[in-house]
Amino acid sequence: MFYGWWDWRFLFLLAGSSLLNYYLGILIAGAKSEKRRNFLIWTGLLQGLGSLLFFKYFNFFIASLTAALLKFNIRLDVYTLNIILPLGISFYTFKTISYLLDIKKGKIEPSRDWVVFFGYVAFFPTVTSGPIDRPGALIPQLKKQRVFNYSQASDGMRQILLGLFKKIVIADNCAAFTTEIFSNYKTLPASSLLFGAFLFTMQIYTDFSGYSDIAIGISNLLGFKVTRNFDSPFFAQNIADFWRRWHITLTTWLTDYVFTPLSIYFRNYGKMGTILAILINFTLIGIWHGANFTFLLFGFLHGCYYIPLILRGTFGKKKKVIAGTGSKFSIGEIINVILTFLLVMFTFVIFRADTLTQAFDYYRRLFSVTIFTMPVITETVNTAVVLLAVILLFWAEWQQRGKQHILQIDFIKAFPVRALIYFGLILLILSFSATKNADFIYFKF
Amino acid sequence: MKSPFKIFFSKLLLFIIPVLILFEVLFRLGFYPIITNSTLFDTKMLAIQRQHIKKIDLLSIGSSITLYDLNSDIIVKNFNKPYYNLGSWGLQITDMRALLQSFVKEYHPKYVILCSSFTDFISPSNDTYANYINTDFWVKNNFPEAFYFKDYHSIHQIVRRKYKAYPLNFDKWGGAALKFTLKDIVWNKWNEHGIFPTKYSNCNYSDLDSLSTFLHQQHIKFIFIQAPIKKSYANTVLSKQIIQSHFDKCRSITESHGGTYLSYYKTDVFTDNYFIDQYHLQGTGAEVLTRLVVEDLKKIIF
Repeated sequence: MFYGWWDWRFLFLLAGSSLLNYYLGILIAGAKSEKRRNFLIWTGLLQGLGSLLFFKYFNFFIASLTAALLKFNIRLDVYTLNIILPLGISFYTFKTISYLLDIKKGKIEPSRDWVVFFGYVAFFPTVTSGPIDRPGALIPQLKKQRVFNYSQASDGMRQILLGLFKKIVIADNCAAFTTEIFSNYKTLPASSLLFGAFLFTMQIYTDFSGYSDIAIGISNLLGFKVTRNFDSPFFAQNIADFWRRWHITLTTWLTDYVFTPLSIYFRNYGKMGTILAILINFTLIGIWHGANFTFLLFGFLHGCYYIPLILRGTFGKKKKVIAGTGSKFSIGEIINVILTFLLVMFTFVIFRADTLTQAFDYYRRLFSVTIFTMPVITETVNTAVVLLAVILLFWAEWQQRGKQHILQIDFIKAFPVRALIYFGLILLILSFSATKNADFIYFKF
Repeated sequence: MKSPFKIFFSKLLLFIIPVLILFEVLFRLGFYPIITNSTLFDTKMLAIQRQHIKKIDLLSIGSSITLYDLNSDIIVKNFNKPYYNLGSWGLQITDMRALLQSFVKEYHPKYVILCSSFTDFISPSNDTYANYINTDFWVKNNFPEAFYFKDYHSIHQIVRRKYKAYPLNFDKWGGAALKFTLKDIVWNKWNEHGIFPTKYSNCNYSDLDSLSTFLHQQHIKFIFIQAPIKKSYANTVLSKQIIQSHFDKCRSITESHGGTYLSYYKTDVFTDNYFIDQYHLQGTGAEVLTRLVVEDLKKIIF
């Protein structure tokens, strides 16, 4: 019902894909030969990736091919189709693929209960925008009889509140500014463009992590534990550290099913092999977001950021958590955090731009003398609210690092104090929600 | 021992109830919910709710022309019938068409008066009125606080609207008078020539047709009043032709569905001193117009 509310026609795709993968799972587990198992796996991959390619990339491919051929004076009269992207297709396709591959590897048993399996694919809190949960984690929970768990449910409510705060107070208010700035970037000073890049970075983080918080919170209310998707990514000290904290379920999915097999495949080429594997992996992360060269370049650039780490041999080493568990941090750590943030922020300009030309033009205007002027701010109250809310969020993330989310404040023993914090957030949400509510950014992926 | 679910639910209520109380307090303090993007329309709807108006025999609808050009006192004194002026700034014919669906159902009028100028035919419809139209009458009348949640606007926006709004003064029948002295005249508006017709005019004409048909089907008498325009507006042959063509269209549409068309484009009666700009009459001008209108309406309204 939840999925059909958006567009009932795509229920058939979701149900058809679930049905096929349900039977494929059972057949793969019962297959006697490797050849048959591979055939069944490829059938599943073909269906999943085929739908994804068709719905998400068909028009992009045709348009790019036509444009490329036109450069050689070859005119190709192929019409693009009016295709609507089914909600959450990138997310549930990855779920079905990991299900089949995990069965093949013997990591999990196929589900013999179709209700459970359909529930796994279309698990409503996460079906639209993740987190992309693995079958090994979610299917056993779906099989169990659920009992109301007070502490889990109240933790869920807290996380929903946090998600709403991030989305409504920060992301939606940022969206109002970034839409304005990116639409009129040609007439604005560089300082406004820098401010726009900063705000978009905040917007995408709070929008997507806010959504994840709400999804995880609802799952908790229903008695399910869903994998965390963000872990204070802007405290990362290098790009590898950033991706271990940003969209965690997508990164780990691609690490397990793309990067690791590729690394093994290229192992004879040493560091060059690792670089190649990481570039492919990150280019895929980029185009997973959508059919646009901007996303492709975004992913590729992030792959390039890894090269110094691979060459220095520090790529696989987990960076120590900033300041450890104490509260003091070194100057070096702070510089690392700022540099990583800046690198990420500049790539988000490409992510936000409609075309590569627009992104490059934005960069060109960004690096000009007007960077030393005051940015143009029209809505002073909303700007102040956004900036204060961002500071509050990062302060809380810093204080609460190591916890699942920042509202896990059970260490405050006095209930009235905790209640005051919750009411404070509720009041901020009610008082400063944006004039226009923007859709969740990741809904379109 | 209470069950964990009951404890959870009770604690949840502990957070929900203060939020509801907060909005009730806001309402009582006059920070009303944002229903549409017209402050005047919202305030008027809440005023009707507070006055417990259930029936309006003589209902006038329109833009600021209806609001300012019809003097409520004169109408009420001359017709012993429940009357209300639902005129609101910026309403276009397409909006009136949509709103009348609700108003007819809610207030069962016998006569609908539209005092109009061509400024009612220049813009597209305002989608925000849908929030009012699509809300149940019972909710509008008994629980307008529901609008806080129906189309959510932040408290910050609500507070800002209250303090930034243009002063809203209307009488208990919804009408208002513009009291301007010479120094209040905005001179660039005094001789302003707005663009007419626009690309939205045809759509508004077609909605005037639909509005007349609808009222005719409901057995409600529709009276179209062509409001005066300042003499200097029609200072060229082209502008004379444009307004004449507009008058002809309005007359033809209104009369084809059994409505009454009354024109008060009388430049000899409505001289410049009655206006505050090209289209709006000030208080004394409104009185003169309303007296003339009342004389004509006495032949129609019994």
